[in-house]
Amino acid sequence: MRKFILALITLLFSISIFAHGPTPQKVQESVTVSVTPTKAWSVIKDFSDFKKIMKIRSFDDEIMKIKYEMLKKDGPFSDYNAYIIVKKGSNDNESIIQWTARFYRTYKLNPPIPEGEDDATAVAAVKNIVGPGLANLKKALESK
Amino acid sequence: MIIKNKKIILITFLCFLLALIYFYNNYQKINSKAYITNQGDNTVSIVDLKTLQVIKTLKVGIAPLGITILNKKNLGFIGNVGTDDISVIDTRTDQIIKTIKLNTAPLSLTSSPDESKVYVTDWFKNNILIISVKEMKIIDSIKVGITPSGIAFNKKYNYLIVTNRDSNSVEIYNENKKLIKKLATGKHPFGVYTKDKYAYTANVYDDTITIIDLENWSTKVIKVGAHPYNVLVHNNYGLVTNTVDDSLSIIDLKNNKELKKINTGETPENLDLHYKLNILVVTNWGSDSISIYDFKNLNLIKEIKTGAQSRSFGDFILQ
Repeated sequence: MRKFILALITLLFSISIFAHGPTPQKVQESVTVSVTPTKAWSVIKDFSDFKKIMKIRSFDDEIMKIKYEMLKKDGPFSDYNAYIIVKKGSNDNESIIQWTARFYRTYKLNPPIPEGEDDATAVAAVKNIVGPGLANLKKALESK
Repeated sequence: MIIKNKKIILITFLCFLLALIYFYNNYQKINSKAYITNQGDNTVSIVDLKTLQVIKTLKVGIAPLGITILNKKNLGFIGNVGTDDISVIDTRTDQIIKTIKLNTAPLSLTSSPDESKVYVTDWFKNNILIISVKEMKIIDSIKVGITPSGIAFNKKYNYLIVTNRDSNSVEIYNENKKLIKKLATGKHPFGVYTKDKYAYTANVYDDTITIIDLENWSTKVIKVGAHPYNVLVHNNYGLVTNTVDDSLSIIDLKNNKELKKINTGETPENLDLHYKLNILVVTNWGSDSISIYDFKNLNLIKEIKTGAQSRSFGDFILQ
């Protein structure tokens, strides 16, 4: 679990306070996990290391949702706000973990947009965090 | 005597019926459509605010964001930041009647009170583009400060007001394209609203709004929720969309303080009011929907699914 958290922190450690182009981007992915929602939430919400780096925007035990913002730049995207929510799956021993991120590309001046600072790069980078993040989380939760 | 009474009752009833028909007809005549730009799927959802249904989904350019509605001319101007053009909608037929090429990203739009001109903030080249509604083309432009974001027209002074997001300022121009004033706002001002002698900017990075007195240029700052995008003022209340809190701040403008927050959908960005129906509409970027409230008590009437990443930056209700 610790490994997962550390990997997550390394991957997520990002945000630019610089400005952005006009279109916010969205990445929303989810994974079905064979543990109870309570169990999944208890692991996700215990991001004690995570909390030191991210600005936690809200934390709701009742609906099992954590919202955070990243405050340091470490990737080709900016103004990153995201939330992770745990929902009930098709049976009591199953849960769905959904991860939604909103962000912008880093480049904001006149076109042409330099390679690596465009919307596609930003989306790919965040997908590369969210996808493996959820996969690792599934592995960690189900191996326990 | 009995017969006479019956007659009176009948006449009263008929009068009542006529009044009812009259009011019903008037109600029917009220325009009540909201035009929602869905930046994620290149469409505009047209929502009837009486029946609370999406009545049409219109394909526009790529990444539609800004909008302004010309009520007298029955036109809607939609800014597409992906195709660098404007889709013009005839609101009687809800068809696109014209696409105006700009070769730059239109971020926000507003119109002159007589609806002869539409003003567009040109995000990339730092201009306000002036479009003639009659000719449907750019006829003039004003060079402004960097990253012009929100735009609003003040009827009292005939001022064009524009926020400069990356220089934390607001600029005020007169109709002769002259810069009247440049003032500091909070950090990262995005949306701007104006009414009577005031202008209001939503300052994304420091979670505030700035209120500007257009007569003596004094400013006031009020704390709101996280990352506000836009402001609207009605009946001495300020309403602010807090994108990161998923809420709306309600501000008492007599005492300049926040009264409360009400819940919205995810990532609420923009808002508009239908003044006759007294209905408030908020666009939710995160939940691909709009939230509709009764302005009297701010109770949620309904949340309606629209398209992907609903934004509608500007006035988006046909009144």
